[in-house]
Formats: sequence, C-alpha cells, structure tokens
Amino acid sequence: MTKLDKETLIDLTKLCRINCSEEELETLLSNLQSILGYIDQMEEVDTEGVPVCNHVSEEMESVTREDEPDQSLDRKTFLDNSPSHVGGMIRVPTVIKF
Amino acid sequence: MSHISYEEWEPVIGLEIHAQLKTRSKIFARSPNRFGDEPNTNIEVVDTGQPGALPVLNKEAVEIAVRFGCAVNAQIAEFSKFDRKSYFYPDSPRNFQITQFDMPIVIGGEVIADVEGKSKTFAIHHAHLEDDAGMLKHFSDFAGVDYNRAGVPLLEIVSEPCMSSPADATAFATTLKAIMEYLDVSDCNMEEGSMRIDTNVSVRPKGDKTLRNKVEIKNLNSFSYMEMGIESEIRRQIRAYTERPHEDPNVVVPSSTVRLDLDKKETILMRSKEEARDYRYFPEPDLPPIILTKEYIEKVKRDLPELPHERFKRYISDLKLTEYNASILVNDKQLSDYYEEALKVCKNASALCNWVTVEFVGRFKDSGTPLYKSGILPEHIAALVSFIDSKKITGRIAKEVADIMAKTPGRDPEIIIKENPNFQAVHDTSAIEPFVDEVLGANQQSIEDFRNGKDKAFNFLVGQVMKLSKGKASPDVVKELIVKKIS
Amino acid sequence: MYRKSALQLHDAFVKGELTASEITSYYLQRIQTLDSDLESFINVFSDRAMAKAEELDVKRATGAPVGKLAGIPIAIKDNIQIKGEVTTCGSKFLSNYVAPFDATAVRLIEEQDGLVIGKTNMDEFAMGSSTEHSAYQTTRNPWNLSCAPGGSSGGSAAAVGGRLAPIALGSDTGGSIRQPAAFTGTVGFKPTYGRVSRHGLVAFGSSLDQIGPFANSVKDIALMMEVMGRPCDFDATNVKKTPENYLDHLETSIQGKTVGVPWGFLDELSDGAQKVFEEALDVLKKTGVKLVEIKLTKLKYSIPIYYILSTAEASTNLARFDGIRFGKRSESAKNLDEIYDLSREEGFGPEVKQRILLGTFVLSSGFQDAYYKKAQKIRTLMIQEYKKAFEICDVIAMPVTPSPAFEIAGIRDPLEMYLQDLYTVGANLAGLPAISVPSGKNGNDLPHGLQFLGPQMSDGKVMHFAYQFEKALNLTGFIPPLFDKESAV
Repeated sequence: MTKLDKETLIDLTKLCRINCSEEELETLLSNLQSILGYIDQMEEVDTEGVPVCNHVSEEMESVTREDEPDQSLDRKTFLDNSPSHVGGMIRVPTVIKF
Repeated sequence: MSHISYEEWEPVIGLEIHAQLKTRSKIFARSPNRFGDEPNTNIEVVDTGQPGALPVLNKEAVEIAVRFGCAVNAQIAEFSKFDRKSYFYPDSPRNFQITQFDMPIVIGGEVIADVEGKSKTFAIHHAHLEDDAGMLKHFSDFAGVDYNRAGVPLLEIVSEPCMSSPADATAFATTLKAIMEYLDVSDCNMEEGSMRIDTNVSVRPKGDKTLRNKVEIKNLNSFSYMEMGIESEIRRQIRAYTERPHEDPNVVVPSSTVRLDLDKKETILMRSKEEARDYRYFPEPDLPPIILTKEYIEKVKRDLPELPHERFKRYISDLKLTEYNASILVNDKQLSDYYEEALKVCKNASALCNWVTVEFVGRFKDSGTPLYKSGILPEHIAALVSFIDSKKITGRIAKEVADIMAKTPGRDPEIIIKENPNFQAVHDTSAIEPFVDEVLGANQQSIEDFRNGKDKAFNFLVGQVMKLSKGKASPDVVKELIVKKIS
Repeated sequence: MYRKSALQLHDAFVKGELTASEITSYYLQRIQTLDSDLESFINVFSDRAMAKAEELDVKRATGAPVGKLAGIPIAIKDNIQIKGEVTTCGSKFLSNYVAPFDATAVRLIEEQDGLVIGKTNMDEFAMGSSTEHSAYQTTRNPWNLSCAPGGSSGGSAAAVGGRLAPIALGSDTGGSIRQPAAFTGTVGFKPTYGRVSRHGLVAFGSSLDQIGPFANSVKDIALMMEVMGRPCDFDATNVKKTPENYLDHLETSIQGKTVGVPWGFLDELSDGAQKVFEEALDVLKKTGVKLVEIKLTKLKYSIPIYYILSTAEASTNLARFDGIRFGKRSESAKNLDEIYDLSREEGFGPEVKQRILLGTFVLSSGFQDAYYKKAQKIRTLMIQEYKKAFEICDVIAMPVTPSPAFEIAGIRDPLEMYLQDLYTVGANLAGLPAISVPSGKNGNDLPHGLQFLGPQMSDGKVMHFAYQFEKALNLTGFIPPLFDKESAV
C-alpha cells in the first residue's frame, strides 16, 4: 500500500488546517508511517461483495422530528464564548469575497 | 485575430439551483427559519456547531423534497442518506456541510418550459437536501458572521446538461421557480437569496456528442446576470478553442470556477481544477438514512396542489384566455391567485385579465410595487369590470376610476363612482344626440370613408363623440345613433 | 462512608440516616485532601454541589418523593456538557468554553436528584489510553501512583477507584471506560450503541461513542443505566426503545447458560495475563455456566479498522474547533487563515493532531476506497461474526487488556499504546454492550478485569452475568490501600 511521504503529510496539514513545525512533522511522519504499516494487514481480508457498514445500530430507524421552531440558545450565551464579536456577530478578519 | 465562427459551436449548459425551503424550523436544528432578524437571534446549539450537539432531521423538509420530486415526475428514492462534505470557512458552523452526495432523495425528473414560443422539455438529474451556511457580512477591515441562515434547509436541484442557450436557462429556472411557488415550498427570491443559481457552461463543435470541460459560474443573483454570465462564458470558451485549435481541449479550457464581474461584464477565474477542493465526502454517522414507504410517496403525490402547467391548461380551456395572457398570469403565482380572487366576483375572465394584467399592473409599474401588495382589493377590480359590463360606466370612465383607485388603494370603486356623478354613463339618447350631430357635422370625410368600407373611420367617429361627452356617453348608444344617422 | 456503594448511600439518605449535605461534604473533603495524589478532578463543584445537596435535604424533609439517585455524588468526565460549567475535554483549546446546554445524561441524573460533584480528567478529546494526553494534569492509578489509570476516562476511573466519588460517568469509543476500569479495579460499562443519548457528549467517533458509568459494584452500574438508558429526541442515533429495569433481573441464577470464549484470538496475552484470565474463568464456572469456544477470526483486524474509522470521524468532528466561534483563538493570528492554522496548532496536543491527520488521510481523495471504505466493509464482516457467535452463546467473556496498568510514561511507541485497545474496540465496532468487572489483583498488587459482551440491546444480560460473576468472586475489601482510609480533616 501507499507509503506516506512528507509532501503528502504537508498537504494533509493544509487540508485539515493544522500548522505543524518541522520537528512535529518529523515525529508525525514517522508515527503515521508506522501506524499505516500496521494497518496494511487489512489487505488480507477478502471484502469482495461485502456491503459497507454506515450505521451499526440494528435498532436504527428513519428518525425525523416535527417542524416546530424552538429557540434554545440566546445570543448573549453564544457570543460570551466567542473570542471576538461585534454588533451581535462573530468577528473575523477580512475575508476574500467570492 | 482570426475570425471566430461562433455558430460552429454549440453551448452545453447545466444549472444547479439552491432553493431555501419554507419550513418553520431549520433542517437539522430546531431554531426558527426566518429571514431578516437581528444577527444570531435564530440559533441553537446544533446550527452553531456546539460540541455535543447532534443533527435531527426535520420531517417537513423531507416532505417538501418528495412533493417537489412528484411535481417534476421524478423517481422518489425509498432509501437515501446524508454525507459530510468537509471544507473550512467561517460561515460553516462545523466546517462540514451535511448534504446528500451519492444517494439523493429525488432522482431524475423533467420540466417543460416555453422558450421563445416553443415548448421544450428539460431533464433533471437529481435533487437533494442539504443545510445552508451562515452569512458573512463584510465591513472595512473585518467581517461579521451571522448564523441565522446556518442550517436552513436547501433543496439543490441539478439539471442534466441539456440547455443550449441563455434563454433555455432562464426558461428552465423560471418554470422551476413557478413550480416551487405553486407547491409553496420556497419563496424563490433571488434578491433575498432564497433561490441561488450556479451555472455550468461548456461548448463543443456543433454535432459533436462528447462533453468538454465545464466551467462553473457561481453566485448569479438574477436571471439577467445569469444570461449575461452564460453568454460571456460561451464566447470566452469559443474564443479560447478557436485561438488554440491544435492544443488539448482539456488544457485550453480546464475545469474551473468563475464568477461574473458586473463592471467588466465578464467571467473571471476563481478556482482552477488543481486547486479544486477535496471535500472527503463520507456517510454522516449522526443521521440514519431516510426510508420512505410507497404509501407515503403516493399520498404526497395525491395531495399535490395545482401545478403551473395545470393552471395554464385550465386558463386556456376553461377560462378561454389566450396563451400569452395565460402565461403572464401563471408565471406569477401571486398575481394569478389575486386574479382568481377577483374571478370569484366577476366571471368575465378575459376582461378581468386585461384589467388586472394590463391596466392595473401598468399603473404600478414605476413604483415597483406588485399589484397584489398595492392595497387594491381584487374584489374591487372585479366590481369595476362588472360595472363596465352592466354599462353602469363606460370603459373610458373606468380608466379614470382606475387612476383614482391606484392613487388611493382600498377605495371601493362603487363609492368613487357615486361621489363623481360625472362618471356615470349616460344612456339617454336625447343627451347624446347633440354630440353625435356635432361630430358628424364636422367630419364629412370620415362618413365618406366609412361608406367606402373603412371601418376605422367609424371607430374614429365614435371616439370623437366619446371625447365630446367626456367619456360618459354609453358607447353602444353612440354607435346606434351614428349608424342610424349615417345610413 | 467511602466503603458504601451508591445504592447504600441512597438508601441511607432516604431513610434519614445520612443527609445529602453530609454525604456531599464528606466526599468534597475526600477530594480536597486525597485528590492531590490522584489528580483525577479538573474541576470540583463545591458550591454547586453543596447547594444542590441542601435543596435535596429540604425536599426530603417536606416528604416530597426523591429521585432514584438522591444522595449520590457523581463525577462527570470533562467531555460531557454541564450547562454553565466549563467543558475542557482535557484540551487547552477549550480552557474557557462554558457549556451552553446540559447533556441528556446529566439532565437525567439531575432529574433523579443525583449530585453532580465535578468534572474529571481525561485524555484530550478522548484520544488515548492512559490519560497522559490531558493538557492539564496526569492522573494516577489509585493502586499505584506511578502507574497510569488507563484512558481516556482515567479521571473518572481513578476517582471511583480511590473512593473520591461512588459513581462517575465516562465515555467509551474503543475501550475508554472498560480499560481504565480494569486498571483501577472498578466496574465500567459501555452500553449498546445508542442506548444512552450522545446529546451533550463531545463527539470523537460518532458511530462508536457511548457514555457509560463507573462504580464499585455491578448493582450501582445497573442503577445508573436505569436512569440513563432512555430515548432522547436530540440524538437521531439513540435507540427509541422503552427503558429497562436492570436492577430487577440480576439475582436469578445463570446456571446452564453459555459463555463464549474466543480462544483463538487470545494468543497475544502474556503468560501472566493468560493465567489471570483462566482463573477468572474458573470463578465464572462456579456460577454454573458452560464455556464454549467461539471463532472471531476478524477480531485481529479490529485495531486497524478502529484507527481508520474513529480517526476519520474524529477528523470531521474536531473541525469545528477553529478559534472562530468558541475556544482559544490564537493571539498571533493576523488573518483568517492564521486563525485556523495557528489556533489549531496551539490548541491541540500531539496525539490529537496525529489522529486528525490520520483521519484526514484515510478520507482523502485517492485513499478513501483503500482505507475508509475497506475498513467499513471489514466492520460489516465483524458484525456478522459476532452475530454468528451469539447463536451459540449468551454472552462472550474476554480479557479487557493484554496486561495490567503500565507505568506512567512507560509506553512511548504509539502503536504499542494503540494495541492496548485490542480486546475492547470490537464491542464499539459492533455496537455491543460490554462491561469490565474486577477479577482480582496480580502479584504486583495491580487489579485486572474480566470483560463480558452481549448482543445489541442485551445490556441487562451483560450486567446480569457480571453481577453473578462478581458474587461468585466475592472480592471483599477490594480498595486501593492508599485510599482505604478516612481523609485527614
């Protein structure tokens, strides 16, 4: 199976938006390669024609709820947890407009 | 630059329409689904992505999707599921959207639309449910995020790439909009954002059956911008292929995303395929699949309200309206509903149609207020038309009454006429005769023309008498008198 | 008082022998003096708990009926939301995050007059098997302070083991309740997937997570499950079946019933662990059950697929921690991109980063089929295998861990740490109820546990077998020596 290389690892950090130092990248690379090497044994299992398991619960039914509005979070509580807010909105630096 | 033969190419256009659904609460969260409130006042723990808060599906959103599918003759999936679509952006409360990637709830379907007089059938690929993101409001050197819109149910309708002109696209979108208005499932208001359209455009040599790379034009918020964007993109691609005829088409026009620059009236690159995002779709573990029974689907189908094409047929066959008039009404459901209210009082369908769609709508054109929001009651327009029919007033006077009604909406025309004795039609022959004599006396030539077969001359004479009588003379009496005196 | 079970405390309270205030202040005192050695609590709710205790005393005095958990102090793992209190998940990212709502499990506990006493330490975002990955403190094993209590619910396990609280809640995604229970000589139960609502549990592996109780007796576990195992409208994966009266069904004999043992799978056990397991089975046989061999050939792949599926789900579940709406936003961030990249760099510990990266990798384009989808298929095969096994046995008995509690900082290799979960992840992958019940202690005075698993929705049966085993084993005075004393006043 694929061996994870540094370039792919760096791409991954960009995808999941976590900045990593050079040191961290070295440790991560080595750990992940070792873990992926171990995971490789999955190849031995014949899964031809086997359906994927999306939900494990045998009891799971199609669950829906009534269309009843119920406001349960007031703005103050929401904003009190935020690092920065203005005018009732969460504040972020300028974003490139599409 | 070499000559570009645009006509040697055919455009291939597909649309992705996002319609916000008119549910009372959001699709996975219980907060109210409302537009225009103070920021972050319609939120709860699920739609702000609080840790530990889980999505629970709104049954009304499901029913709306099924209703839509039935209305466009699509197949309703008895089993469909949700998936997570990952991307980071401040308007996303979880940095993943819950959507339906490979097993949507509505499959196929078609829409029949009128394009420049011809009836065309456009195929739908599928429609699926997903949640909307919040809104970013841009200021000088910062932006604010409002999550009121986060979690609002969206129905995304994806067409087949079956349109071949901007007019096709507008026809498709207009018809879809009408269907959704008739189903009462979405406001479909492009200015407010309850309907958003992304367009996919590619071109190919005429007659070619293969599909080349498509370019996505995002966030067009009116039909005219959409047409502008499509037109611009078609020309851009044809130019590109023409200027670089020996290169690999995939390189000449790569898959990409563009936006319409309104100042330059051109499409500008946003994202190329290399930068295309990896959304890492995988099945949403927090939501069970949607499982629908045949009985449920049948019931929704049976309970469908009248659809636009059905109303159109009814207007033609029952009300005997012309196709043109019928489509004016049908394509604006609120106007059409208004008209039908008036129809309850006055049965003269075509006259009523004229008064509603031409006379009264015309009087509000400049103000931009739709007639059905003007404050004029449909019963009053109906009353006005019946007054003309019963000859209580003349058509010409009715226009004056209409002017007054438009200026003071809500006033009963019966009262307006009562207050203005001048408005009441005069039927008294002896009162009208002097006017007729005067006109006939002054227009010998017209009398000659009429005797020589020119019907227009007769109408001219009638018109002159009406003018003299300040519109009050009954046109029938005038005609009778003229005929009597000429012959 | 610390020797009393939760049921005994409740009983004493109801009878008026002890007041809720007495009980609460007693345990708060214990925590204050003894937790400095254990560091099991991140946050202690002295004022809140005492206030609730006083209210409860008033309630009882008026003769009004009191809930099933009245008088029982309960500790809560710090990834479970309690409205108005900070939920850290053992992470720096959430050091200032105040819960805007109550988890259903907490609401149910408080509705039954349970006394929530504080939040316990854990591996950051529940990722770990030793509680060494907490950003705040390292919890110790009450049996040996230089050993780990296990993880990720190490704080809860240590608190209950050290008798600092009679009951605690943990969460179990791959063994995070059962493994620490085995290490600390306590009883830890993971319900059938969906039996307890996940509303308010900060998600790690959505298709694997469950909230579950720690206690020092199986009966106390059954009591907690009666309270928490109910339908909830805020969790679509929650089982909508009527709650059961687990306590009523513990005493009947299990004579003649069958217990399956997957001998083929237990090659990895060290000699010492093998001996411990066989001795436990000998005790089990005293209850009159038959042992049969079952074949679980796919179990050896459970670690690979667990680390694919749980990290994939986690990589998306933890995406919401971005410094935008809540949590710590990096002060060095000068633009939006940096808010994401730096807040997440600073806020997450190395284990969390590693798992997010692994999860992102197995879902990414080009690799999803080979990793994520493949793992999902093997999961199906595993579920089928368990189903088949349960055709010939009522419950399965297995060890909980390959070896007893290891030294803190004793395991450095990530793979070695992940293999700690070898016997526990299967139950999460198949959604099965599973329990770890103490089976004694080894020559080094470290406890070990026996695991029972049952088919989905057989929570009662699993607790039943565990109770009968507990009875047959008849461990008395099984309290860590360091904590087998009253706290100094």
